[in-house]
Parts: sequence; structure tokens; C-alpha cells
Amino acid sequence: MSALDRLAERQLVVVTGKGGVGKTTLASVLGRLLAERGRRVLLLEVDPRESLHQALGTEPSGGNLVEAGPRLRLQNLQPAAVIEGLVHEKVPIGYLARKIVESTAFHQFVEGAPGLKETAVLGYAYRVLHEGRRTRVDVVILDAPATGHGATLLAAPGLLAQASEGGQLGSMAADLAAFLADPTRCAVVLATLAEEMPIQETLELLEVLRARLGVRPELIVANGLYPPLAGASGPELLRRRRRLNEAELARLAAVWDGPLAVLPLLALDRGPALIQALAARLAEADP
Amino acid sequence: MSGTVLSGSLLVVVGGGGVGKTTLAAALALGSARQGQRTLVMTFDPSLRLKDALGVGEAALDEPIPVPGAGPGRLEAALLDARRTFDRLIHTYAPDAAAAERIFTNRFYRDMAGGLAGILEYMAMERLFEMRAARRYDRIILDTPPTRQAMDFLLAPERMMHLVNNRAIQFAMDPWWDRKGGKNLPFRLAAKGALELSDHLIGRRFLLDVVEFIRAFAPLFEGFRHRAEEVQKLLRAEETRFLLVAGPGPDRVPDAMFFLRKLQETGHSLGPILVNQLHPDPGPTGRGAGPDLLRFLAARDRQGLELLRHLLPGTQEILPVALEPDPPGDLAELGRLFSKLDNATSV
Repeated sequence: MSALDRLAERQLVVVTGKGGVGKTTLASVLGRLLAERGRRVLLLEVDPRESLHQALGTEPSGGNLVEAGPRLRLQNLQPAAVIEGLVHEKVPIGYLARKIVESTAFHQFVEGAPGLKETAVLGYAYRVLHEGRRTRVDVVILDAPATGHGATLLAAPGLLAQASEGGQLGSMAADLAAFLADPTRCAVVLATLAEEMPIQETLELLEVLRARLGVRPELIVANGLYPPLAGASGPELLRRRRRLNEAELARLAAVWDGPLAVLPLLALDRGPALIQALAARLAEADP
Repeated sequence: MSGTVLSGSLLVVVGGGGVGKTTLAAALALGSARQGQRTLVMTFDPSLRLKDALGVGEAALDEPIPVPGAGPGRLEAALLDARRTFDRLIHTYAPDAAAAERIFTNRFYRDMAGGLAGILEYMAMERLFEMRAARRYDRIILDTPPTRQAMDFLLAPERMMHLVNNRAIQFAMDPWWDRKGGKNLPFRLAAKGALELSDHLIGRRFLLDVVEFIRAFAPLFEGFRHRAEEVQKLLRAEETRFLLVAGPGPDRVPDAMFFLRKLQETGHSLGPILVNQLHPDPGPTGRGAGPDLLRFLAARDRQGLELLRHLLPGTQEILPVALEPDPPGDLAELGRLFSKLDNATSV
């Protein structure tokens, strides 16, 4: 079974990695590929500066669901809005709910409580999946926020569940943590670049995921590889960059024996044409 | 105009992820030392290669380490570790060892305090302040952390001040929590209500952990508030300049504009913008996949540069910096990178 076959069976695919390594591009590529396999896909972006829509050539989401192709939708999510929605739902008296949401204490809590925003985003994905009849989504692909640590998002529900044991929030977080830990339902895909810092960070993230969460990524994708140039031809800069890419891939391969795919740097601007070209490459490589 | 990239006694290097901030900060620091300034570079998460180039290891986590052969000034490098700084602060401000121990063993501190918005960023500021106070340097260059909310660290001192002024803290400090003292009725009702609500929503233990954390932390607040104010002043001082590093191409422009807006809104002074990792144009000759790709990348990067130029006032310096074939691996290469920065001309 190939990596894409396995991803197509999951309900939640979290695409993670540091900022600037092509997470959004990879999430879009995976969205397209899983939709082609007949899955109804929702791509979720958390960054307030939207870019998913550019990759897929739609209008910006502004928080709404946007059609991006057959069986493919995207949505930009504001964690604070999700949390406010929850308050309105859990506090049945409208006036009281509004008072809570408008209070400074509430905002400080939302901004300050560790893991709350992350849990809200994952909780949203969970609910979309479990209200299947209404939303008609088979798989959510989450373009994880570029956090200092890629594990922050995945660790959040567990931490929150532990901290708020016994409360409603705690039991919601515990359900989520169990969902995330189930490899038949959730998968993690790591995006990286074949350069020194991104590879180093990927190696560290692999270790944190293993040690803290017992999670093994389903796939690692190295983006933006410079092309192999025959012999000594071609610009020196590109050849040296390619050498660097290869050395860094070797460093990753020395530690990671799981599925690894590389995607080339293409002479295409961000947009649907690029996503389509990369989707074809990834489908072909499919480790 | 060239040679303007180094000025001010505190340079804060900011920018998004993967734009080469840390390497540029190191090159600037080396250049500064070569110009005879006693210089400190503080960095969060340098690559192994850069650590090798500077000759610093884990020891630099605790104290700045001199970089040998850096020039007539002196260059020292310090690695920032937020958690260690936090721990050390607690040791410094706690009235006694028992008070420090209470914090270290608190579940909330252990598992979650690191996740509190802005705390880790604040720790960078705190360390910066410590280093400035030591007065051993003519110039400090701070490489900023890869933050979640890119500019959290600018707001961090203010947040810290808010945090310690918060009413919730007054609430947590009340002796009622120790089952002591006949408290007035409104307080008892509020406390009971908070406990019941939190019991229902977030679990009683969470609230008790937080209350305990705040109380253990309280003796430190006065020190924190004072320092946070000082740090805020320092960041807005005239001698402090922010250098923005941007990635190449139009796709990275919104990121750069976001940083610029934030810096302006918060009243910080901006130095030149460095647009890094630009692909050079190979010219019209040369056939094949390689030259074609390079021409595409060069044109894309130039577009980004032009877009930024178009969006910013003419007085704003924008310095282009070419992509290095290999990242600098020793001091000589870092020195060459500095010469390029120093000789760059604004577009």
C-alpha cells in the first residue's frame, strides 16, 4: 500500500512543518490528489493571512467554505471565532453568552490559555467529520499553523485534557486526543525543504512526535528541490544548490526509513497550474 | 547609498521563517566586531553549520562565548533558551529556595506555562536586558525567535505588565483560597461561582493549579513589572533599530508588509529592509533546463523586489542580498557575506 493509498483512508491529515517550507502548497497538492481518488475533501487553513486560495485559484475564504474543484473545498479558520461559537452553543442564554464573549477576561483567556486555540481548530475538524450527513466531508486536510514547534498543535488536546480533567472542556479535549492518537483515522504529513535548517528541524520534530506523542508521520515531503543537471553543465549556483539538497536528503534518509517523496522546484508561479504539476509528480513518486 | 546596515547600539533582526535571519545576524555581528565594536550576537536556534562557523556550542546557552578571530573589536555569541531563562528568573526573584521550588513543582508551570502566549518571547527580551545591563558591549544584535504570532515579542513586555496587573491575580491572591479569613460575601460568591463554573467547564483542578501557580509566582511580580517596563523603553529607544529580513519573490511580500505594519503601529524604528536569497539573473544566453529555471527564479525574485519598492516610501532603504551557493560555513565566509551586506545599494 502506498503512502497516498493510506492517506486516502484517513479522516484527518495534518500537514505540518516550519514556516516557509511549502506546507500550504503540499496541503493543496494532497487535497487535489485525495479528491481525485473520490474523497470529499475539506482543506483547512488557520493563518489569518490567507494563501490557500491563491494556490487553488479561488477567491479568499474569509471564514467561509469555498468550492475549489470537484469534491474539494477550502476554508480559512479563525480559532478565536471557533471558540466564541462554542461559548454561544454551550451557554444557552444569548445575553450571557454575549457578555462573556465581549469581556476582557474572556479574550485574555483565549489568548493566554495554552493549547486552547490549537484544540479549538482540531475540534472544529473533528466536528465537521462527525456531522457527516450535513457537511459531507470524508477527509479534512489541516494546513497546520507555522508554530515554533510542529508538535504544539498535536500535543495541545492531550495537555488540555490533562489540565482540565473532569470538566466539559477536558472531556472534549480527551476525545480529541484519542482521535489524534488513532493511526487508522489520523495521519501526519511533514513538509520540509532539503536544506540544513529545515532538515535539522524535521529530525527534531520526528523525535518529539515519537517520544511525546508516539506518532510516526505517514509521509515526509521535501519541497522545492533544485533540478539535477547533467555533468558539469548549467549554472554553478543551481549545481551547488542541488548538491546541498542531496546531502541534506541523505542526512534525513540516515534517520528516516519511512515514505519520503521529493518535489521539484518548477518554473511556475503559485497557482492551480503549479498544484496540478506537483500533484502529478507526487502521484508518480507515491512512496 | 551603502554602509548603512550597521548603526545603532541595538539591532533587532526580524522576519518570517526560513528567510535566513540567523545567518544574516551572525554576519552583521562579525562585521561589527571587525569595525572595532565590542559586539554580542544573541540567537535562538542556529544551524549546526553556523554554530560551527562561530565556534559556539551548548556552553553558550548559559553565558556568552567569545568567538575567536572575529576582529579588532570583540565578538561574543549567546544562544537563547527561553525555558532556562524563565527558570533562572525564578531563581533570581524568588524570595527563598522554597518559593522557587513551589513554582518548579507546580503542574501548570511544568506542563503549560511555556505555552502561555508571549512568555517565551518575553524571556528573550529579559535576557537582552540582562546583557545590556552588563555594559560589556558597544552593540548587541538580537536574532528574534521563530514565534507563533510573528510579532509577539514586541508585545511581550506589555502583556507581561498586563498579566501582573490583572484582576484575576488579585482574586487568586486572596487568603480565602487557603481556607483562611472571613471574606466578604461578594468575594465568597464570586470565588464559589468561579469554582463551580470551572468545575463544569474546565475542571476544578485546572483552576486550582492556576491559582497555585499565580500565588507561587506573586513574590516575583514586582521585579517582573519593573523589568518589563524597562525592556519596553529599550525597544523604543532611538539607539534601537529593527532590521527586517524578507524572503524573495512576490509571495513573500505580504509577510514583509505585515511585519512593517506591526513595527510602525507599535512605534519602533525601522532600519533597512534586507531582501534575502535572491536568485541572480544568468542573462539571456545559455540554453536548457538549468538556465531557463534560473531566469524564471530571477525574474520572480525581481518582481517581488519591485513590488516591495512600489509599496514603500522612497526613503525606505531596501537592500537586495543574493542567494549564496552554499550557506556560510566559517568566519571567512561570514565575513564575505558581511561585505556584501555592507556594500549593497538600495533599490
